[in-house]
Amino acid sequence: MNINYVFQELTRRRKRTVMAVIGLSIGIALLVILNALSLAYHEAARAPLKEIGADITVQRPGNVPEDMAGAVFPCSAVTITRDEIAKVGKMPGVKGMGTAVLLWVFDANRAWTVLGIEGDNPVGPSILKNFVSEGRYLAAGKTEALVEAAFARQFGIRTGDSVSVAGRSFPVVGLVDASHAPKIAVANLYLPLPEAQAIAAASKPLQSVSPFAMGDVNLLFIRADQDKITSLASALKELMGPKTAVATPDSFLKLLGSFFAVSDKFTLIASIIAILIAILIAFKTMAGNVAERMREIGVLKAVGWTRRNVTLQLLTESVVQCLVAGIVGLAVAYAAAFALGFMTVSIPIPWEMSPTPHFLPGGGAPVFKTLRLPVHIPVSLALFAVTLSTVIGGLTGALLGSRISKIKPSEVLRHE
Amino acid sequence: MSEAILVGDNLTKTFDKLTVVKEASLTVGEGEFVSLVGKSGCGKTTFLSLLSGLERPTLGSVTIAGKELFCSSEDDLALFRRENVGFIFQSFNLIPTLSAWENVALPLFPVQMTEAERHRRALELLDRMELGHRVKHLPATLSGGEKQRVAIARALINNPKIVFADEPTGNLDTATGEAIMTILNRLHREAGMTLLMVTHDTELAKTADRVVRMQDGEVIS
Repeated sequence: MNINYVFQELTRRRKRTVMAVIGLSIGIALLVILNALSLAYHEAARAPLKEIGADITVQRPGNVPEDMAGAVFPCSAVTITRDEIAKVGKMPGVKGMGTAVLLWVFDANRAWTVLGIEGDNPVGPSILKNFVSEGRYLAAGKTEALVEAAFARQFGIRTGDSVSVAGRSFPVVGLVDASHAPKIAVANLYLPLPEAQAIAAASKPLQSVSPFAMGDVNLLFIRADQDKITSLASALKELMGPKTAVATPDSFLKLLGSFFAVSDKFTLIASIIAILIAILIAFKTMAGNVAERMREIGVLKAVGWTRRNVTLQLLTESVVQCLVAGIVGLAVAYAAAFALGFMTVSIPIPWEMSPTPHFLPGGGAPVFKTLRLPVHIPVSLALFAVTLSTVIGGLTGALLGSRISKIKPSEVLRHE
Repeated sequence: MSEAILVGDNLTKTFDKLTVVKEASLTVGEGEFVSLVGKSGCGKTTFLSLLSGLERPTLGSVTIAGKELFCSSEDDLALFRRENVGFIFQSFNLIPTLSAWENVALPLFPVQMTEAERHRRALELLDRMELGHRVKHLPATLSGGEKQRVAIARALINNPKIVFADEPTGNLDTATGEAIMTILNRLHREAGMTLLMVTHDTELAKTADRVVRMQDGEVIS
């Protein structure tokens, strides 16, 4: 093998080389982009849960409250007992857990959604502390409240005021900007978890639908091992009943409804097609190259090149060409990924995960988590693509090179 | 005749049922210039291919510099040609993507040596062919005569024991053909090059030390 000869062959038969590189690089770029898009949709689907520090949320649907008076549970989230919480905490794959109590409270002069949160638990809605637009976040052990900013504006509530909920009074210590806050488990009023539990436990209409004790909750947030999310979701349903709503990134992926979201099989099949296209192009180009150079190969053998010399020469040409195509394909894929990164994706948040009474302002409006599609090409994918392209070149070159190197010089030089 | 460098003994070549070369024998001495003449289709080129080891005979044997060729594998034959044999073809058979010097150095590409050494040896031969100013030119930019001179230089790059030339002037005009023959004669006379040349031109053949005639696949004189 002579690297100078390889270089001259590829550069001086420029048109053929460029066509081959373009064809092959399209296949490689397709492969990379398809997989990068698939990864991007998977990552986007994780966003609604990720922003509350969880991988799974658990809710148990129940009956619709008979009477919309006082504190009630939304029908999408009724009691999860403390025993169940303890069992969930011991399940394999659970790395962390947070709890909350979501209530609808119908007072005489106002109806609102109330969320009781664990102040400092990183799993769950405590991330709200980053979205306090006025005043401060809830202090540990104190009986106080945060109000959602738009709701506060609508009802003239200010920091320092007191609000009365289900017969209990809470000083308002801050306002939360919900427009930037997580879209799951949103509310008009945020209280310390024990306060919300106390309201729930004391509510007769709530108890009549779903018995509730101090220590029980109706929202569960779980941080899990990434590779155990699916099995954990199944185990949770088994533990808490088949009707339990267990939301995972896959649930959101299904809601997205795109080809990439519907099935990983689509990406797999499309990737295989892209690889086959790349192989076909590499093989066709190399076969054309070899057919065109039969006489040249005859001359090489006549002047003393062995089969090994000829095969190695053609193999190296094919490998270099495919390596360049792989790099070009990767560059095209990076450019495409950059452009696709400007696309936004809106992930619908099911009403059940952030239930607001339809008769309240904005109650029936669909909620979306909108974000830029996080398209990026992992180093492993980039390396795989370039390696694959090179391997295709190697196999094609070796196969055709070893076959063509068998020709006898007299066979091609006879017909002068 | 000096010591035999090439001995082709009783060579027969049959393609399917057609016998192209029939029990032909030829011996070429070291430093001898032999012309092989005959009409088109009489089997000259096939006989040359048999004698040079490019083609295996149906019957018979060939010995070059004491080595019996057809006891060897194809790769051994290729290695033997690389070290002992030079070829000049009618249609030059230069590699279109390689420059003049790279074409000359082609037989040396698989040989372990530095690129500088290959370059030096190719340039030396191109200078002898009065092509020192065309070393970097591609074949497409060379005239017919220049191409054949590059091909001659390529045939000589490995210091062969014998050069086989198949109609070396066949694709050239008369004047250029004569110039090529002058070079070949000079190489024979001054460098002692052993040359076996196939031609259908009896006038050109006369410049050789010995003329061998073929007819219908047989050596007749």
